[in-house]
Amino acid sequence: MKRTALPLVLVALLAAAFALQGVGFLGVARAQEPIKLTFWNYWDGKNGEVIQALVDRYNAEHPEVEIENVFIGWGELLPKLQLAVTGGDTPDLAAADMVWMPFLANSGALTPLNSFIEASGTDIADFYPALLAVNTYGDQYYGLPVSTNNLELFINSDLFAAAGLDPAVPPTTWAELQDMAVQCANPDQGILGLELYTQPGEGLTWQFQVYLWQAGGDFLTDDLTAAAFNSEAGLKALNYWLGLIDSGAYTLSDWGLFGQGQACMVMDGSWMVGIWAETAPFAWTTAKMPYPEDGEPATNMGGEHIFIMASDEARQQAAWDFINWFTSPEVQLEWDQQTGFMPVRDSVATNEAYRAWIEETEPRLLPFVEMQQYAHNRPPVQQYAELSDAFSAAIERALYSQLSPEEALAEAEAAVNDLLQ
Amino acid sequence: MSIVAPLRARWRQANRQGDLSAAALALAPAVLLFAVFNIYPLLYSGYLSFMEWDGFSPQRTYVGLENYQSIYESAQFRNALSVTLKYMVGVTALGVALGLVIAMLLNSGIRGQNIYRMIYFLPVVTSTVAAAVVWRYLMTPGIGYADVFLRNVGLTPPSPTWLRNPTWALRIVILVGLWKRLGFNIVVFLAGLQNIPKDYYEAATVDGAGVWARFRHMTIPLIAPITLMLVIMSLIDAFLIFDVVYVMTEGGPVGTTEVVGFLLYRQAFHYFNLGTASAMGWVIFAIVFTATLILWKFFGVRESGL
Repeated sequence: MKRTALPLVLVALLAAAFALQGVGFLGVARAQEPIKLTFWNYWDGKNGEVIQALVDRYNAEHPEVEIENVFIGWGELLPKLQLAVTGGDTPDLAAADMVWMPFLANSGALTPLNSFIEASGTDIADFYPALLAVNTYGDQYYGLPVSTNNLELFINSDLFAAAGLDPAVPPTTWAELQDMAVQCANPDQGILGLELYTQPGEGLTWQFQVYLWQAGGDFLTDDLTAAAFNSEAGLKALNYWLGLIDSGAYTLSDWGLFGQGQACMVMDGSWMVGIWAETAPFAWTTAKMPYPEDGEPATNMGGEHIFIMASDEARQQAAWDFINWFTSPEVQLEWDQQTGFMPVRDSVATNEAYRAWIEETEPRLLPFVEMQQYAHNRPPVQQYAELSDAFSAAIERALYSQLSPEEALAEAEAAVNDLLQ
Repeated sequence: MSIVAPLRARWRQANRQGDLSAAALALAPAVLLFAVFNIYPLLYSGYLSFMEWDGFSPQRTYVGLENYQSIYESAQFRNALSVTLKYMVGVTALGVALGLVIAMLLNSGIRGQNIYRMIYFLPVVTSTVAAAVVWRYLMTPGIGYADVFLRNVGLTPPSPTWLRNPTWALRIVILVGLWKRLGFNIVVFLAGLQNIPKDYYEAATVDGAGVWARFRHMTIPLIAPITLMLVIMSLIDAFLIFDVVYVMTEGGPVGTTEVVGFLLYRQAFHYFNLGTASAMGWVIFAIVFTATLILWKFFGVRESGL
C-alpha cells in the first residue's frame, strides 16, 4: 500500500500547487491592481529604446496602468498577430506597418475608435488625411498614425566630388538625374550612378510608384477596383527606368550598394538618415527627389499605426488613454525628435521649434519634412501584398528585357485586375 | 460484437505475457504527441484546403476544389515545379555521384580518413540559414571573396552578376544545396563501402576482373540499397527546400529560383491565403509521395546479387 501511496501523494501535491498559484497573489494585494496591458510593436535599436523610455514614463505617471512593451520583429509581427487572433490571446494594443491596416481592419479584430476620439476631444483634423485614409473603413477609424517616413534622394558626396559634380547642386529634374548618374557611374569598379530597387516584391513596387506619381499617374483607380498604371504616365516611368539601365546609370544588382559606398545616389527613406549618420564610411547629403519637367512632386510613405485589440471595456479605455497621450502633439514632438520619424500631425511639422531643431541637429532631414505633404498613400486594399508582388514580377521581366514595357504593364494590369475581382 | 470477440481473443493470446500492453503504454506518450502535433495539423490543413480563409476573420467559406483548380491552372506553380525539379535533379544527381566518387577515394586507404570525413560532414550540421547568408555575401560583386577571387583569376563575371543573373542564380543555389548535402552522402556511402568484404574484390581480381568491371559488377550492385535510400532522401529533401532560396534570392531574378516551398510560404504568410497554401501543401505531398512510391517499386525490389 505504501508504494502506491507515495506517487499518489506527489500527484496530489502537484495538483494543489497548480491550483494555489492563482490564489496566492490575490491574498497578498489588497489594494487596486493596476490594469496590465501588452503592447506589441517592431521598433528596435534606437527607436526601441525611445518607445521603452516613453512607456516607462507613462507607467510611472499613471500607476493605475502597467503597460508592457513587447518587441516583435517586423517579419514576424503580422503572422504572430494572426496566431493571436485565432488563438484568442491578442495583445491589448499594437503598432504595425500601415500597409497591414486594410487587412487588420477588415478582419474584425480591431476596436473602432470613433467613440473614444469624440469622448477625448482629440483633434483628428490635425493628422495628415492621407495617413488617416489607411485606417478608415465605413466611417470608423480603426487606428491612428504614430510615425511616418517618405522617400527622397541621398547623394554620396565623395563619389560626386570625384566625378566632378557638386553635391550642393543636386539634380532637380529626371533629365538632370540621369545625366548626373551617368557621369558619376563607374561600371568597371562596380559603382552605380543611381541605385534602384529591382528585386521582385514590395520594394520594387513602392519605389516605382514614386516615379509613376511624379509622372502624373495613379496606381489604382479612385474606387480601388482596377489598375490605373497601364497609362502614359506608367509607360513614361518604366521607360525612364529602362533608360537608366541602357545609359549605364544603373546595372541590375542586389540592393544595399549605397550603404557600402558603391552607388552615387539612391532614393531611400528618412529612417536611413539616423542610421547612415552613424555608420556610413563616406560623406553624404540629401535632396528632394527630382521629378520630370512636366510632372509633379510626389513621394511614397510608410510608417506605423497604433490600434486596440483588447475586448474588455476597461482595458480598451486604458489602451486608448495611452494612445491619446502618445499621439498628442507634445509627445509626438519628442518622439519625432528622438527617432527621426516624420511628423504625422500638421501642428508638429509646422512647429517652429521643431523646424529650428531640425536645422540645428540634422538638416539632412529637411527635404523629407518639406516633402511629406506630397506623399501619396498606397491603395488600402486587402490584397495589396499579392497585387504588389504580381506588379513587381511583371516590371522585373521588363527590366530583364523579357517583355517590352507595353507588354509588361499590360501583363501587370491583367494580374492586378484579376486579384481585385 | 462478433467482430470484436475474435480480435479480443487474439489480443489476449498475443499478450499472455503482458509485454504487448507494456509496449503500448510505453509508446503511448510519443504516439499521443505525434498525433496531436503531426497528424492533427495534417488533417486540419486538408480541411482548410477546401476553404477560403485569411487566418484572421472568424468566417471560413467553403470553396470545394477551387483552391486545387487554381493551383492546377497557375502558370506560376508550373514554373515553380519546373524550378524545383531542376534543383532536385541537380542536387541529387551530382550529390550522389560525387558522394560515391569521394567515398571510394576515401576508402582506398589514404591516411587521415577521419579528418576528411569530418571536414566533409561539417556543412551538413551547419545551420542552413547561416550558411546561405555567408554564401550570399561571398557572391556579392566587388566585395565578396568568391567574386573577387574569380575576378583575380581572370574570369569576368556575367552581367548582371551572379545572384541577379537569371541563368546563374539557380546554379549558385544548387551549388549551396550540394555543398550542404555532400558530406552526408559521403559518410553513408563510406559506411556501405566498408561493409563489403575485401575478399570479394580479391576473388574477382583473381578471376581477371579489371577496375572498371569490379566497380560495375560488384560495387554498384552491393551498394544499390544505400544508393536508393540516398536518392530518395535527397529527392524529398530537395523538393522541400525553402531556407536557401529565402535567404539568397527570395525567388530569384524573374522567378528562376522560385521553388514550390517558397510559393507556399508567400501564399500562407504574405498573402494569408491559408486555403490555397494548404491545398498547395497537399499537392506537394502527393507529388513527393508518388515519386517515392515509383522509385521504391522500380528500384527497390531488385536483389543485390553478384
